[in-house]
Amino acid sequence: MYQSFVSLYSSLLVLALTHLTLGSDQIPGAPQTKPILIQNAVLHTVSNGTLINHCILLKEGKIAQIEPVIAAQESYEVIDAQGKHVYPGLFDSLSYLGLVEVDSINASIDNAEVGSLNPNVRAATAFNPDSEAIPVARANGVLFSLVSPTGGLVSGRAAVMQLDGWTWEDMTVRADTSMTIQWPRFGGAQGRGRGPRGQRDAESGESESSDRLSPLHEIIRETRAYMKAKVSDPKTSIDMRLEAMIPIVEGKTPVMIVANSLKQIQTAVAFCQLHGLKMILYGGADAAHCSQLLKEANIPVVLSAVYRLPSRRDAAYDSMYALPAKLQTEGIRFSIASEGRFGASGVRNLPYNAAAACGFGLDPEVALRSITLSPAENPRNSHRR
Amino acid sequence: MTSDSPLAANVLRSDTTMHVRLTVSRNRGSASYPSSPMGAVALARQTFLDTQWYDAAMRAYRASPDLPKPESDTALDSIQQHIASGKLFIFDTPNEQYALRADSFAKEFGLKILLKGSGQEYQLMDLISKTGRTFILPVNFPKPPNVGTIEAVLDTELEELMHWEIAPENPARLDRAGVPFVLTSSGLSDPSEFVAQIRKAITRGLDPTKALAAVTTKPAELLGVADQIGKIRPGYWANIIIANGDLWDQKTRIEEVWVRGNRPAAAYKNEKDIDGLWDISILDARTLGEPNKPPFEKFQVSIKDSLKKVAATLLLPPLPEPPAKAPAEDAGKEPAAANDAVAKDAEPKPNETKEEPKKDTHRSIKTTATRWSDLTLNAKTSAKELLANSAADPNPEKSESSDSNVALVSMALIGTGDHPPALVGTIQLPDGTQWTVRGTKAPSDEPKKEDKNNDSKKDKDSKEKELALISTMRYPLASFGLESIPEQPQVLVIQNTILWTGGPAGILRDADMIVRNGKVDAIGIDLPVPEGAQIIDGSKYEVSPGLIDCHSHMATDSGVNEGTQAVTAEVRIGDFINAEDVTIYRQLAGGLTSANILHGSANPIGGQNQVIKLRWGMPYEELKFQGAPAGIKFALGENVKQSNWTDTSRTRYPQSRMGVEQLFRERFNAAREYERNWKQWNLAPKGLPPRRDLELDAIVEILRKERWIHCHSYRQDEILALIRVCDEYGITIGSLQHILEGYKVAEAIAKHGATASSFSDWWAYKLEVYDAIPHNGALMHQQGIVVSFNSDDAELGRHMNHEAAKAVKYGGVDPHSALQFVTLNPAKQLRIDKQVGSLEIGKDADFVLWSGSPLSVRSRCEQTWIDGRKYFDRQTDAQMRIRDAQLHSKLVQKVLESGEASGDRSSLADDPSRLWPNHDEYCHHHHDEQHHEEHE
Repeated sequence: MYQSFVSLYSSLLVLALTHLTLGSDQIPGAPQTKPILIQNAVLHTVSNGTLINHCILLKEGKIAQIEPVIAAQESYEVIDAQGKHVYPGLFDSLSYLGLVEVDSINASIDNAEVGSLNPNVRAATAFNPDSEAIPVARANGVLFSLVSPTGGLVSGRAAVMQLDGWTWEDMTVRADTSMTIQWPRFGGAQGRGRGPRGQRDAESGESESSDRLSPLHEIIRETRAYMKAKVSDPKTSIDMRLEAMIPIVEGKTPVMIVANSLKQIQTAVAFCQLHGLKMILYGGADAAHCSQLLKEANIPVVLSAVYRLPSRRDAAYDSMYALPAKLQTEGIRFSIASEGRFGASGVRNLPYNAAAACGFGLDPEVALRSITLSPAENPRNSHRR
Repeated sequence: MTSDSPLAANVLRSDTTMHVRLTVSRNRGSASYPSSPMGAVALARQTFLDTQWYDAAMRAYRASPDLPKPESDTALDSIQQHIASGKLFIFDTPNEQYALRADSFAKEFGLKILLKGSGQEYQLMDLISKTGRTFILPVNFPKPPNVGTIEAVLDTELEELMHWEIAPENPARLDRAGVPFVLTSSGLSDPSEFVAQIRKAITRGLDPTKALAAVTTKPAELLGVADQIGKIRPGYWANIIIANGDLWDQKTRIEEVWVRGNRPAAAYKNEKDIDGLWDISILDARTLGEPNKPPFEKFQVSIKDSLKKVAATLLLPPLPEPPAKAPAEDAGKEPAAANDAVAKDAEPKPNETKEEPKKDTHRSIKTTATRWSDLTLNAKTSAKELLANSAADPNPEKSESSDSNVALVSMALIGTGDHPPALVGTIQLPDGTQWTVRGTKAPSDEPKKEDKNNDSKKDKDSKEKELALISTMRYPLASFGLESIPEQPQVLVIQNTILWTGGPAGILRDADMIVRNGKVDAIGIDLPVPEGAQIIDGSKYEVSPGLIDCHSHMATDSGVNEGTQAVTAEVRIGDFINAEDVTIYRQLAGGLTSANILHGSANPIGGQNQVIKLRWGMPYEELKFQGAPAGIKFALGENVKQSNWTDTSRTRYPQSRMGVEQLFRERFNAAREYERNWKQWNLAPKGLPPRRDLELDAIVEILRKERWIHCHSYRQDEILALIRVCDEYGITIGSLQHILEGYKVAEAIAKHGATASSFSDWWAYKLEVYDAIPHNGALMHQQGIVVSFNSDDAELGRHMNHEAAKAVKYGGVDPHSALQFVTLNPAKQLRIDKQVGSLEIGKDADFVLWSGSPLSVRSRCEQTWIDGRKYFDRQTDAQMRIRDAQLHSKLVQKVLESGEASGDRSSLADDPSRLWPNHDEYCHHHHDEQHHEEHE
């Protein structure tokens, strides 16, 4: 019955939306039974600018009307939002919500599988609707998240989840929206964490990097071969991993590639072009160093966070704070995520990540967009299954 | 001495120096103490104290033999004798900051020391020269970084480039600064490079006479053998080298080396002489005494790396014209050759005909089992290939000896002085055939060098270019380093601003603040401007006190945890403040001006903390907060009981919160007893003197209220338990750190008088923080507890004001009080609130200019001032970015033009600041990208 949840665009974050906060945090909101009219609000439509002193009418879970004045009817539940702001529900472009509860306790972690190639695993199926992190994130306005597996090379299939509901099925806005791939690292500053470091790339770095990519080339080739085999012999036994890769190879489902360094980004873009894959870049610390490439290949970027340290000792202190503004200037599509640094517990700080970028040149309207509409615009994120 | 005589004869003097290292190897593991440089220094300090005690105890015993005899300890005894006889200690110093620390340590114990340098001394020249110490300087100047690709350039740190450029000047600069030194070959992968490297230092300004003294008379003096060696003088040992010119001239060769009047075999001739190309003639060939004809009369041998893994390659003359026997093969080859010709069409024809046969037919055979020792080259080579030339089809001949296919080569080096060197020897074939061979250095080697000499003009130009430095000095020697300390205007006025005083005055509008000599002098409305004052128009800004972080691990280069033992109260963070950590600058840019640098949470009683001011650009001693009372890190819960360790390493007591509580009592009791013994001794020094114990010293200070506890804590039960223990021992806790369940026992905390330094909203990174709520700060504040928010993190420490704002959001703290969570309150917790934390008359002028409200996430820090000096300014920052980017490009260009091969390891890689973590690796909330990579 809860599958008739409001569509993405109409789910609202309203400070006084009482039926969401009644009772325990963990009891999902009931379906809308009568029209709700919110009056006198500052309405941040994102798609259509900010409307001062406007009314918004909700019917059967959808936005029915937006007008300066909507007359209240007897059957309406009326909320006076004088002095309040109404925003679309915030959307975290990637998190481990529902998959990680307590970082240090293995028993509570379900976001990574063994081995390096796990395209078949699905985040949606392991999403824990009773995670304490969910109502915490929701209380700060985060109503959606792309929930992703991690680890290995091909981590598995991510899903867009709404952050309210009884079961993961209720909460799945769209399953298998993208395939998360952890791009191999190539040494250099990005690879120089604390601890023994400083080993340089071998002079013949070429062979080294192609080695690291070879498992990825291989799985694409295998998938193509598998697809051919299936056509020529319907009795070809099922390979679940390759089966999961088919929509990727067909370019129907995007790959979300986790990459930060210039070389990672360059090789990832080239790889996806070579194989005809639809790519979304996640991480993107060096995105400003290859903006032309990202623009030409039309690749949306998910900045894993704004609160990040510069990736190199010599980089400007605000290089990560100012990165969204740079991408805005360059005309690159981007959204902002809350970074999985604290498992899923830090998702509630998503809005501050976007806001902090405003101090360093990002247009506030774009900042808001980067945590609402922009993530929804990423390929396949927006429509229900 | 390095003669071939038996060892004993070579010893000039033993027990000359004792070696000290104020650090340990990284990755030594957490099993044995010490595992960090901090721990190593603490151990060294305790050892030297023990030596003093041992001496006193032995003297007391000798004076009255009826006392119990102190257990004899040969180690302490030999250290004691070493000190007493005024002998030298050599301290290893991995970088210039470590050199200064070694100097301080030696002063502490009145030791005579030599410092084995790092080659980075020039980076802190003033302080280095003030030590007055003599350095043993390495000349292993760094190889340039790899800047072969754009990504590599992007990843190359300015520091590495600058160090590459300046390092060869280190000896010259030290000399000019009056720092005495000797030179060492230590650190060179090939000791025979020693002379070449010293020559490099000379071309970069080192006085040649000083250079010679630094490898002859000076070391002899230091080691007390100046009456025997170091000079050529009657009565001295005949240790001499003979060179064919000025030793420091690039072209000069060392011809002979004499030790004790003998020529050690290995030093008979510069061994490198065999490196290169040799023309070998086969003088004679005989099988069982019968002469026969070798397949060729001359060939060449190329020898490389004779000092290391020698490699020799035989270069055989061109194959004879193919005989008519194999026409089929020929037919097959021809098209290929034709193709080659087509490919080479672009090249001029005459060259083609000349080069082709050479290139195509010249064959090289690598030797195996090659050895160069005792002036003889021995090797094996393939007889099959060697003889392949003897006939067009070697098969019939080979069939007999195909099993034994190895030819042996043996050639001795002869020729001395005026006689050119020659290789003379034998090549023995499988059938016993012996070729007598003799070789001389191929002339092609020499002309090449002369060719270079002909281009002396070119050389001169490039040399001048090499000598001209692009780098300018700054500290730290890296991006954003300062060329000078920011000046302190005598009088500074900020006018018409919104002033968040952090004090009782609250927020003042249209306010003026006058700063005089680094202190707040006046605050008010429309204050008269003193003459000559520097004026800042404050209407563009809001001004707040400098932010203070009560829990940080930045600016360290010795690890943050000495977690090997449950109690390490003797360890001092202050021994290793790293003024060169860029985190200091990055946090300054977020408005932070002071920080409490704490030991980590690996053990219930950790090390002593150090409060610093973020005086970027000053050497580390200047960062230390003068007047900040002493403190120490305590920790409770999961980290100290090793809950998140692998099961096999969970052996240390305590393993439960029960044990943790008991451990504190045990140590407090021990400290009381220790104190009692000392009191007794001081009143009536009878018997053996008590031994000083640095660990208990620190705990006694806690009991005496001279050292504040800063305790990592999460759960209400452990918080309450610690409070009760401390109540019993009459201790007031300085601050409870993290304290995420403080809201559950706020009354008890308030009653005890502890303060609380919390995270604004971190939670769920481990089980004991699952019940944390973001209202914690506000709730404790409402109970009258002095509450601060801290970072414990290099990133979070860059926006403490955002954290403070969360106290307004979660719990409704008023904005000014919320800002106090990161200004006045942490100052109170560290007991430095008389100097800093608020803008009140008489306090330090530590303040921040914000682009808007300091509590807005959208505001930006524009300027950060400490002691009335502007340490951060967005505009200056923008200029430095350009300065550094330009310098970076120029240095990259210089590396590329130098043609020098890059090293395979960054010269920064072994710097302690890179080796040791500066975050608490025992805390489970550190999951940023960098750490993630470490685990891969």
